[in-house]
Amino acid sequence: MVSGAIALAFLPLVLTFIIRYRYYFVLFYRAVLVRMWYDCKTGLSREERAFQYVLTHAIPGDPESILETFDLWCNKVEFISNIGPKKGKIMDRMLSEHCPLTVLELGSHCGYSTVRIARALPLGARLYSVEMDARNAAIAEKIIRLAGFDDDTVELIVSPSDEVIPRLRADYGLELLDFVFMDHWKKCYRPDLQALEGSGLLGKGSVVLADNVLFPGAPNFLRHVRKSGLYEWKIHRATLEYSKGIRDGMAELVYQGIK
Amino acid sequence: MKELFGETFASKDTGKTFANTIKEEVASYKAASGIPVDDEEDTVIDSDGRQERAKEKERKKERHRKRRRNVARRASSARKEGKELEDRPEREERRGRKKRDKEGKGKGKGGEDERQEEVKNDTVAKIQKNFSNENTRKLEQKEIEVVIEEDGDTEGKRKNGHSKKDEKKEDNGRGEKVEKKQKKRRVETSSEHESSEEEEDEEEKEGEEKPEVLSPEELEKLKEEVDERKKLISTLRGKPWPMRKKLLTLRESHEFVEKYEGALGKGKSRKLYAYKVMMLKKWMKFQRDFENFKTACVPWEMKIKEIESHFGSSVASYFIFLRWMYGINMILFGLTFGLVMVPEALMGRPYGSMPRKTVPRADEANAMDFAVLWDFGGYAQYSVLFYGYYNSQRAIGWLKFRMPLSYFLVGVGTVAYSYMVVIRTMARNANEDGGGDNNNFNFSWKMFTSWDYLIGNPETADNKFASITTSFKEAILEEQESRKDDNIHLTRFLRVLANFLVLCCLAGSGYLIYFVVRRSQKFALEGLESHSWWERNEVNMVMSLLGMFCPMLFDVISALENYHPRIALQWQLGRIFALFLGNLYTFIIALMDEINLKREEEEVLKLNMTMWEASLYNGTLGANSTAPPITVHPADIPRGPCWETMVGQEFVRLIVSDTMTTYITLLIGDFLRAVLVRFLNYCWCWDLEAGFPSYSEFDVSGNVLGLIFNQGMIWMGAFYAPCLPALNVLRLHVSMYLQCWAVMCCNVPQERVFKASGSNNFYMAMLLVILFLSTLPAIYTIVTIPPSFDCGPFSGKSRMFDVIQETLESDFPAWFGKVFSYASNPGLVLPFLLLMVLAIYYLQSTSKSYKQANLELKKKLQTQNEENKKKTKIAALKAAMDLEEAQNARSEAPRQQRNNNASQQSYREDREKKGEEHRTHQGKSDHQIPPSATSPPAPRGHRIPGPLPGNQRQPAPSVQRVPNSQRH
Repeated sequence: MVSGAIALAFLPLVLTFIIRYRYYFVLFYRAVLVRMWYDCKTGLSREERAFQYVLTHAIPGDPESILETFDLWCNKVEFISNIGPKKGKIMDRMLSEHCPLTVLELGSHCGYSTVRIARALPLGARLYSVEMDARNAAIAEKIIRLAGFDDDTVELIVSPSDEVIPRLRADYGLELLDFVFMDHWKKCYRPDLQALEGSGLLGKGSVVLADNVLFPGAPNFLRHVRKSGLYEWKIHRATLEYSKGIRDGMAELVYQGIK
Repeated sequence: MKELFGETFASKDTGKTFANTIKEEVASYKAASGIPVDDEEDTVIDSDGRQERAKEKERKKERHRKRRRNVARRASSARKEGKELEDRPEREERRGRKKRDKEGKGKGKGGEDERQEEVKNDTVAKIQKNFSNENTRKLEQKEIEVVIEEDGDTEGKRKNGHSKKDEKKEDNGRGEKVEKKQKKRRVETSSEHESSEEEEDEEEKEGEEKPEVLSPEELEKLKEEVDERKKLISTLRGKPWPMRKKLLTLRESHEFVEKYEGALGKGKSRKLYAYKVMMLKKWMKFQRDFENFKTACVPWEMKIKEIESHFGSSVASYFIFLRWMYGINMILFGLTFGLVMVPEALMGRPYGSMPRKTVPRADEANAMDFAVLWDFGGYAQYSVLFYGYYNSQRAIGWLKFRMPLSYFLVGVGTVAYSYMVVIRTMARNANEDGGGDNNNFNFSWKMFTSWDYLIGNPETADNKFASITTSFKEAILEEQESRKDDNIHLTRFLRVLANFLVLCCLAGSGYLIYFVVRRSQKFALEGLESHSWWERNEVNMVMSLLGMFCPMLFDVISALENYHPRIALQWQLGRIFALFLGNLYTFIIALMDEINLKREEEEVLKLNMTMWEASLYNGTLGANSTAPPITVHPADIPRGPCWETMVGQEFVRLIVSDTMTTYITLLIGDFLRAVLVRFLNYCWCWDLEAGFPSYSEFDVSGNVLGLIFNQGMIWMGAFYAPCLPALNVLRLHVSMYLQCWAVMCCNVPQERVFKASGSNNFYMAMLLVILFLSTLPAIYTIVTIPPSFDCGPFSGKSRMFDVIQETLESDFPAWFGKVFSYASNPGLVLPFLLLMVLAIYYLQSTSKSYKQANLELKKKLQTQNEENKKKTKIAALKAAMDLEEAQNARSEAPRQQRNNNASQQSYREDREKKGEEHRTHQGKSDHQIPPSATSPPAPRGHRIPGPLPGNQRQPAPSVQRVPNSQRH
């Protein structure tokens, strides 16, 4: 059989891999192993645990405090792929630049980004948040209400995004979306964007912000954006939320319409 | 121009004869040659020629007159001169166009050059024409003037009266006017004048009765105009016009200049010029093509350039190094192939004639199996590829080729040649450095001198664009790097830590190899057949695996250190160097052990051999004493193990396995990865291209070191396996193409592209070290270990180098041997060595001092430059201040005036009171304060007009100014 010496010769390779991709291993540990461990231990889902933590540690009615508590929990305890503080700042800046009145959020997960967007919105603006999973939506609802945003500001739609988008105009009376934030399934980015284009909800100057386009990454989405020529686009490079070494980016698209 | 020459010509003879003859001639010529009337140039040339001929005739007529003859002689001599001069500028043309441009009558200095670049060859041609024409024109004028002078003297005597003065006097009225009109029109309409000119030409032709005159003044005018045009051309760049207008003007001016300069020039030379210019063009084109051809002849130049433009100079430096290595190996291959392998194969004894040239009986069955051949056993072992095949016969073939001597000398020669080449290259590279920093105005250089204007191929232009961009990136990175300052303690700590880790790695890998080698020896003692394939190939496997993976680990570790990429590359090179060296030397030590084993075997076999022979002879001699001598097939004769062939085989195997490893890693690690990344990306849940596996980068350090160590092995093993250089040439050739392809197709440029300046010499230094380290064991084996008794060219000698002594004794005259023995006396050799060392020391120190001096000079130049700059700056400042002062002084006046206006009313009463006194003051004060005597006049459009320079003492305003200024 293969001798031990030859196996030992592979040690440098293994070491190289471990060192080079350490962040990915850490991420794997935190996002998968720790989660499984806690799932077995507590019997609650990850989002419920996060909600419990927020409920016990944050100040109700204060979005700032809720966000901070979320960040703390994600940094120290477990990993949830929220937008995170660093990329969140980029988003805040964009929101304050554009002052959108109608915002669509695809994938509210447990409400972190919803709170983040809602607190940066101008008066009278309305945020439609789409979440597919009912349990997550329930938690998101609670978090949003905990942060003090009422139904007028934030409307949570519990439904898959590809079903919601065609109905937006009819059911919700939307004419134009000023700002769209995508943070749901990466595979749905492209179909959803195409659906948005098809529905005519995007007008000239509408901004589409897509998170995690580099890691886990949405190559199809990016290819579509590049090729369609409908957008002015750029990628804000950053690192993955709650992690240092993994590169990630947010794609900012400004809809130009057909020239 | 036709009209001009027609005029001059007509003016020269008022008598009908001449004009008529010429007219006729022109007409006939045209008719004969079928040139259309408006084809100007030819007619001009023609008329020029006619004119000359006409002059000649004239001269013949008036030869009886001394003066006229003198004049004629002068004129003709002048013309000869002119011809010479015409030729001369051409010659000068080639020498340097610039020089003449500077002389060129107030043309713009740099402008001319720029224009040339713009319009390229055509313009060159034009300029040349212009130039020659200018010269001829000048001469012509001179001549004419001379003629005029002469004529002025001999006015009364003349019959024909073809001088201009006369002419002018005669047709003082109309012709003059017409000419002037033309001139004016020419001056006014630049765009249309050609057409109008032509029309006029026609008119002139038809109405040639009205004699036209071209006076010297008009010539002068024309010349001026041409000069003006030239000036315009040269200064066109700076004109604030739209591009279209510029282009239009440029074209028109060119045409004008060409036309009229030509008109002023002389006839035949024009054709000559056209011809010469055409030749020059062709010559230039040929030169360019030749250059292209030369670059095409440099092997792989285009490929390397392409890679350089995309991947930066560091990756390109690897390929250049590879190419250089290929050249060296070609020569080594030529030596061994031409002087050792071919002679032995052609003239030596054929296969099967001797035991050393025959596969032994035991191996015959599977000597042709692929597995055996792949291992370089069987028939491959008993061929010219290895040391053992060669015969010790002193001279072979009808050429009396000294095979053993040649073998030895080629072995020594390859190493000597390699030393020479490496050191020479290093020296040349060091020369190119030139000493000192050349980083001044780095960005300016790059910005303004990067583009290669000779590029004519769009793809090349793209490449050049890419390369300029990368070079900018490199430069910017370097600049950033030089300005960075971080936490120095942390960096130091991290660097020490990284080195510690690397040392641990090296020690670990060294121990692993040592362990494996020891174990393999144990296996060898036990007999290899009882062990698996893995265990038999353990040493090779472990070595190549470590050689592959450890550099990766080093690379990861070196990320800690945070060096500039170039320095990081050097560190990385150094580390891998240490690793490879360890591997190589463990290998050599293992080989040495094996050699010793073989030699013991050989001793035993020698004893057995004599016994075998004795038994053979004993067995047969008894039976029949008169029988022919027994013939045993060479395959059956027992033979020694021949350690030299074994060493050669080991090296060849190592090279082959190394090559295979390299190619397989290339294919799997780069190509397969790239393919997977590219095509799986369509259906993967994360972005493979931007994220985790991504494409690989080109590993410069690993590849360079692989190359260097490979070469080291060649140098070591080439003595025992003459096929090694050939193999290496093959390998390098393949890897050139393969790697070029792999780089372009599956690698991405490094994120931090950097310049590889000076790294070439670093490679060379490493190569030198390796050369030295690899010749050591080879020389050791040659000098200390006796050659095998029954194989190789040195069999039967106690040492390999005995072959030299043998040659000296038998092939050279006796005195030569004596001289050699004297020369090799230590008493002579030692002083000689000492002398050499001293000479080296001396040269070294002088070169150092020269370098120092060079640096000093450079510094001096720089400081001088700065000084000059300062001076000019100060001067400029001073001038600016003066100007400002003057302006201040000037603006003082209006301001005061305004003040006056404002305060006029309030002080009116005062003034009324003091009216009389003021008036008396006024005169004096005006004399005292001349308000702006030196300053330029204020703008006229101003609300309150400033004082005109001529009459500053305007009575009205100064009435009020003076008292106010006194008051304030």
